[in-house]
Amino acid sequence: MDVLQAKNLTKKFGNLVAVDNVSFSLREGEILGFLGPNGAGKTTTIQILLGTLLPTSGEVFYFGKDFKRHREEILEQVNFSSTYTNLPWYLTLQENLNCISYLYDIKNRRERIQKVVELFHLDELLKKKTYEFSSGQLTRINLAKAFINFPKVILLDEPTASLDPDVAKYIREFLLKEQEQFQVSIILTSHNMAEIEAVCDRVIFINEGKIVADDTPENLAKSIETCHIQLFIKEGLERTVEYCVKYGYAAKIEGHYITVDLKEKSIAPFLQGLVEEGITYEEINIEKPTLEDYFLQVIATKSSGP
Amino acid sequence: MKLHRIYANVLRYFYLFRHNLDRLTDAFYWPTVDLVLWGIASLYFRSYLDNAPAIVAFILSGVILWIIVWRGQAEISVNVLEEIWNRNLINIFVAPLKFSEWILSLLAIGAIKAFASFLFAVLVAFLLYKVQIFSFGFYLVPFIIPLLLFGYSVGFFISGLVLRFGTRIQGLSWSLIFVISPFSAIYYPLEILPAWAQNIASFIPASYIFEGAREVLMSGVFDQNKVFISVALSVVYFVAALLFFRQSFYKALKNGLTKVY
Repeated sequence: MDVLQAKNLTKKFGNLVAVDNVSFSLREGEILGFLGPNGAGKTTTIQILLGTLLPTSGEVFYFGKDFKRHREEILEQVNFSSTYTNLPWYLTLQENLNCISYLYDIKNRRERIQKVVELFHLDELLKKKTYEFSSGQLTRINLAKAFINFPKVILLDEPTASLDPDVAKYIREFLLKEQEQFQVSIILTSHNMAEIEAVCDRVIFINEGKIVADDTPENLAKSIETCHIQLFIKEGLERTVEYCVKYGYAAKIEGHYITVDLKEKSIAPFLQGLVEEGITYEEINIEKPTLEDYFLQVIATKSSGP
Repeated sequence: MKLHRIYANVLRYFYLFRHNLDRLTDAFYWPTVDLVLWGIASLYFRSYLDNAPAIVAFILSGVILWIIVWRGQAEISVNVLEEIWNRNLINIFVAPLKFSEWILSLLAIGAIKAFASFLFAVLVAFLLYKVQIFSFGFYLVPFIIPLLLFGYSVGFFISGLVLRFGTRIQGLSWSLIFVISPFSAIYYPLEILPAWAQNIASFIPASYIFEGAREVLMSGVFDQNKVFISVALSVVYFVAALLFFRQSFYKALKNGLTKVY
């Protein structure tokens, strides 16, 4: 069942088309990643989905209901967190959460505040004011705010930016648990490709305001045929370079390491060729294509385009 | 319309007020400074004017009633600015808050804080100069309502401009009302103004109230017509300012609430 449907969303700022006829849906219990370079239209799309930016054209439906007509009813079940928004500076965390809980009419307010405070390890910050928090603490606070109303759909803009790796890992695990236990549907933007691969069921790649891909992270990565093969060669590095040049393999040298980009099916002939040239290697590391490779390819296509 | 959402906003504005020295200063310090300065000046005037024993009450009641306009305006403008400074507009509007509920919460906190400043000023005037504003009795009610509505109107007008043009024009929140004050006849009768200024004053709701208040003090006569004109003008301005503010908000939504700064 689709909990969110975006139909033909377009947003123009003067002559600039920030979002160009974008349509997609989010299924119940699905984690959908929004990927794209800076300025691609990810945040603009999220703002439209939240109603804090009016689209030039297009429609948004949550739970089968028109967002324009049922805004309040829908937003009671939706929430949002971004590293780039703030809470009132002079309020303590306790006061901020208190106000937000009234805004969403949370039943058993105290218990719920206590619960989200525990979930995001914010106990010691309750009496502190917003301006006293580090950016990592603010990120966790924004997440606590976003989960306070038991949302069915949650939109997270860079939810783990500014977090230490262990905390980011905890957040990723938390999101997966929420998805599993409560069938929460999540749209997530991140510049951390590994995170997207680890968490998302599906990825929408946006570039220049358009959806250029909509698939699982695995399938997107698979669409890149090039693997990276890294060899540690004590002797014969120059001959290896000559060999690569001769057969048209792209290679990069760093010390005694040489990294060669080639298609998966060419790995065996390439290695066989090295053996025939009498070149031996001490170490080998083969990296299969990742989402990051896909991202880089799209960016490269864009920058080399007309 | 949900009361809990209005309450949530009022509570947040109250917390901001409690924690921010600037807001406490606006509410209590500046009214006190005004009263002290005008009180001393009016005592000095009285010592030179044998036939004007009521001049202290005359001027200070103007100062105190003006606090309603001033604070009513400032509470609207500054609380909207607080949302922008804190980049909090996005937080409140990703929640199910309606625009009308936001307006009502601004009106409620504006009224609460304007009355808090007003009552504080009444107390200060009584303690320092033995001026009793409550000697106006029930006339205070028809005086206060249009003054507060007019203050709100200016507040929403400025806030609408801020939503359109950003915080680079935020200075209007503290200055625009003082451009209006000379035409409001707060401390002096309208008749001493030049004709062109009197024409402008005829469009300012506050001028009718201050004229009316002086009449009550001088002769005990309450001019209903003046209050009626003032209320009518205030209501017109209030509705117009709300429409302008709503239109400005809609324009901000077209550009994105994150771009309001």
